[in-house]
Amino acid sequence: MRLLAVGISHRTAPVELRESVDFGRGGLETALSAFAARGLGREVVLLSTCNRSEIYLGADADAADACARFMSEYHGISHEAIAPHLFVHRGPDVAQHLFRVAAGLDSMVVGEPQILGQVKEAYAKASAYKATGALTNRLFTSAFSVGKRVRSETGLGEGAVSVSYAAISLAKKIFGDLTNLDVLILGAGEMAKLTGVHLQAQRVRQLSLVSRTLSTAEALAQRVGGRALPWDRLDKALTAADIVIAATGAPDPVLTRARVQEAMRHRRDRPLFVIDIAVPRDVEQDAGNLEQVFLYNIDDLRTIVQENLARRGAELERAEAIVHDEVTRFGAWMQSREIIPTVVALRQRFEAIRTSELQRLEPKLAGLPPEARARLDEITRLIVEKLLLTPTEQLKAVSDERLIVAYADALHKLFALATDDKSGAREREPEKVS
Amino acid sequence: MPGWLPLALYAAAAIAYLVHFARREPHVGRTATALLAAGIVAHTFLIGMQTVQAGYAPLVGTTAAISAFVWLLGLAYLYVELTTDERAMGMFVSALLALLSVLPALNPDVEPRPPLLRSPLFTVHVLSMLFAYASFALACVVSITYVLLFKEIKAKHLGFFYSRLPALQVLDVMNGRAITVGWLFLTCGVVVGGIWAMQIHSSPDPRAQAMSVEDPKILVALLCWVVYTFALFARRMGGWTGRRAAWLSAIGFVLVLLNFVPVGYFLTRSHNF
Repeated sequence: MRLLAVGISHRTAPVELRESVDFGRGGLETALSAFAARGLGREVVLLSTCNRSEIYLGADADAADACARFMSEYHGISHEAIAPHLFVHRGPDVAQHLFRVAAGLDSMVVGEPQILGQVKEAYAKASAYKATGALTNRLFTSAFSVGKRVRSETGLGEGAVSVSYAAISLAKKIFGDLTNLDVLILGAGEMAKLTGVHLQAQRVRQLSLVSRTLSTAEALAQRVGGRALPWDRLDKALTAADIVIAATGAPDPVLTRARVQEAMRHRRDRPLFVIDIAVPRDVEQDAGNLEQVFLYNIDDLRTIVQENLARRGAELERAEAIVHDEVTRFGAWMQSREIIPTVVALRQRFEAIRTSELQRLEPKLAGLPPEARARLDEITRLIVEKLLLTPTEQLKAVSDERLIVAYADALHKLFALATDDKSGAREREPEKVS
Repeated sequence: MPGWLPLALYAAAAIAYLVHFARREPHVGRTATALLAAGIVAHTFLIGMQTVQAGYAPLVGTTAAISAFVWLLGLAYLYVELTTDERAMGMFVSALLALLSVLPALNPDVEPRPPLLRSPLFTVHVLSMLFAYASFALACVVSITYVLLFKEIKAKHLGFFYSRLPALQVLDVMNGRAITVGWLFLTCGVVVGGIWAMQIHSSPDPRAQAMSVEDPKILVALLCWVVYTFALFARRMGGWTGRRAAWLSAIGFVLVLLNFVPVGYFLTRSHNF
């Protein structure tokens, strides 16, 4: 059985096409059953995220074209529209691809952590649908361990790589838990709205909005789920807030050092995190020198993002090394599987000869006491074991595919092994997944 | 059991915590915790054996007190680590444990207990003081990490400590709690010590005679109490949190250490048992 991966991703297709081939839309189970109905392979996992739509298949025959057709027909798109955007991986390349995906190396934002969870979910769904088997089980559990290793052994997933995420991770580093915090947003523009939405997603306790015109603040407050305050309540709101996001279009600083200092006086040393994303700036730079005031402006946040991106770049090599490592290991496992049916057939052949010889000699052995017969059985079994020990070890160590085929052919001819035994090993129970 | 075994294990734990802090490999962290736990277990056996041999808890003399302090600090830290799953402080704590363990390891003999110290008040006094000091040690370590992280965030240079330490507010709360617990035990220790000193004042022992505020050991201990009382109430009333509280905590523990080692060994006339 061979591995095959067919799909499209953000690397090969534009977003409109990716959206139209999303397997998750109609439910993965439906897609799995539609796929199973075609009988293309024995094992399948469908991975569908907003950046990729991929089929992982374990099949005896090469089904790349059939998979492509399934994709176009299932989603009702012409084959011609999809075909140029499809990628196809075979054999060890499938492992290489999936491991890089699971590690976040193939993601749009390299190192983003969500993808590992999405891969796990895709596998769990396929597994629940009983679409997986020994090959895909091993493939995906290896992928999970690659993802885990990359996360714990490299700094690839570390550090915020967007300005709003950088601000939120800073807030978490100052306050720990954000759910008890009051957030004050100054201004009602697009930036203010975006930040408000981000913070609301963090479930802060209260989101207050202050704008020069109360009506715009009210309109925004309704959209992001906060409360609007009139401009003259600014100082009071400043005293109560833990995080202030300044995003007004004012030409001069709204928050002067004196104003912040006055607010701090009433706060009894409670830390205040001020994020100034306005251009020109809303907060006097000097205010950041006040004890317990942490002031970051948009440039500071951008610098952090740049640093994090650069650091991720440096970690890429280590992550790729881990992937390479695991691909080699997986490849060796796959190769050793190829020879297993031959090994099993060989052993069965030897055992058959031994038992038939013992049966042939049965009349002569009948007079022996039971202990002697047991001893005889044991000795012949040991001879067979000893004869087979080295060849078995040697065969299992072969990792060159052509050599495996050559060995298998030679053994089948030399020992007249039954060809239908070849599938014997493949019907083994699926491995337990931990 | 050899007297140096806890020292060796604490030192090994300190190295492991350091490696874990720098590289953040989970298995190194677990090794560090295991080494520390092994050190504490070995130390427990050692103290237990000494107790059985001598027939009383080995709390007589500065060296024995340091040993008991190390043991209590190790236990307290291990409790904090296991409940918070936070190993960043382990590096500092285990280094302190290893450093202080040198003295008991060099001088492992249990000192004879003079009749003066048979009172249960003595045991309560010593244990309270030591537990207070252990809490203050933890508070100090938390404060050091607070200041390090504070500097990075203020300087907008998010680097080494930023990715390794818990949030500032969390560290501040931990500092406050450790000081509160320490203050309670310190107060208890000072009060019990005072009562005990009054009880033995008629004893002809010159050390009992020297039990007064003029003795450096007692004076510095009272100074510690003043510093931590201020830290405690300034936090509640005046909002002395964050960096100022962290510095206060560090200064307080410097006093504790001074009182413990140089004053305890060389200067005191009342506490030199």
